[in-house]
Amino acid sequence: MKIVIMGCGRVGARLASSLDIDGHQVTILDTDSYSFRRLPAAFGGSALVGNGLDGEVLKGAGVEESDVFVALTQGDNRNIMACQIARQIFNVPRVVCRIYDPLRQELYGTLGVESISSTIVMADLFKEKLEG
Amino acid sequence: MDFNRILVPVAGTEADDEATRLACRFARRTKGKVRAIYVITLKRSLPLDAEIESETRKAEEILARAQSVADEEDYEIETDLLQAREAGPPIVEEAVEYNVDLILMGIKYKRAFGQFSLGSVVPYILENAPCRVILYHQYTAPVSG
Amino acid sequence: MYIIVVGGGRVGYYLTRALLAEGHEVLIIEKEARVFQGITDELGSVCLRGDGCEVATLIDAGTDRADMLIAVTGDDDDNLVACQVAKHRFKVPRTIARISNPQNEVLFKKLGVDVTVSATNIILENIETEVSTHPLTHLLMLGDRGLEIVDVKISPESTTIGKSVETLSLPSGSVLSLIIRRDNKPFVPGTNTVIQAGDQIIAVTPPESEESLRIALRGS
Repeated sequence: MKIVIMGCGRVGARLASSLDIDGHQVTILDTDSYSFRRLPAAFGGSALVGNGLDGEVLKGAGVEESDVFVALTQGDNRNIMACQIARQIFNVPRVVCRIYDPLRQELYGTLGVESISSTIVMADLFKEKLEG
Repeated sequence: MDFNRILVPVAGTEADDEATRLACRFARRTKGKVRAIYVITLKRSLPLDAEIESETRKAEEILARAQSVADEEDYEIETDLLQAREAGPPIVEEAVEYNVDLILMGIKYKRAFGQFSLGSVVPYILENAPCRVILYHQYTAPVSG
Repeated sequence: MYIIVVGGGRVGYYLTRALLAEGHEVLIIEKEARVFQGITDELGSVCLRGDGCEVATLIDAGTDRADMLIAVTGDDDDNLVACQVAKHRFKVPRTIARISNPQNEVLFKKLGVDVTVSATNIILENIETEVSTHPLTHLLMLGDRGLEIVDVKISPESTTIGKSVETLSLPSGSVLSLIIRRDNKPFVPGTNTVIQAGDQIIAVTPPESEESLRIALRGS
């Protein structure tokens, strides 16, 4: 698969690297080139500096031909907007993003934006661990 | 200290009674006026002119109680009921409008999340009042366990 | 009307003042304590501290009885989300978003934001009007109909000079409604009208055909 990831934080970098190892064609975007230090030396995909809310940048990242777009920046709204640009303007078949705020995540689920709320996932995991 | 016009904002706490009583005693010396007011604060989910029967009833009970405390003191007071988004601004406006020379209010010591807090109304009044302000703090000894 | 303004920056502040003066009930939602305090000191109880993109804050704001929500923070993504949450969760009849990147206009409309206001576009339009050599000026947007009225100037270099209107390959949906010649006499062009240097042509067009209209009228 051809995958574009926006946001090269810990999660973004780790996801990019493991998808790369599995043989997918990965492009990762971040507004700060310093973030790319998190990618392993063996990373075979491409890393691009740019703002994923800008259509031109997304085009440059090859979003038009990609199968999946993933938004993993720290900002819920940035992730939501980038996913909707990828879906509505560039017709990317599948878009997924991280939304911290559970209420916002629930709402965007009904609007067709696939997402994971790390808040809910983490709390549930901890609860499970503690309660056995 | 003489006070001729005293405003007593009441909130429905046990400190109201003492504040009202004090106001009557202060005013008596100069045959001054005492005005007890209660502000119904409305949530944004309701338009400002909404009438909520339960709130109005509660407000009237609180003002009636202030009235009965004054009766016990054998002193005549006026009461007024206001409605606003927050309590601070209308209290200050009332103080300006009636040209009062003292705001006397009873407060209850609060602990929000374990921290001492005066809430938002008292600081607003202290900051914006056009006159002297006396806060009466109802002391309740902590229950020792 | 009950109007909620998201973002208490300069735009939000002056907008609120103007709306209050018109007699509307207005509430500003502002995240930053300092800005919130400034507005409250100045305008009274018209500000709620919180994140205008958060459902919980919007519940406190009484958004379900709002007639309109206007998102004017400096960030396009925040404005988009505030409008979408208002529209889809609270059924606010009309949402307006300020946008910085003019490209976002199409996206926002597609996603259900009723009106977008782009300072960048407004400034560009003013420059176009001021600079008379600019080939195409936007005069008016017929918002709901997806059409705009533009003004195209025929410069002496235009390759269409001397051609009649019927020979021009106008994009479909574009109509020439008026020509203003040198003597300032406007007339409605017919199929035989011949394009002259200095003509000012007022046309109605869908925005996406704007570029092809310009080329049809002036040559490339």
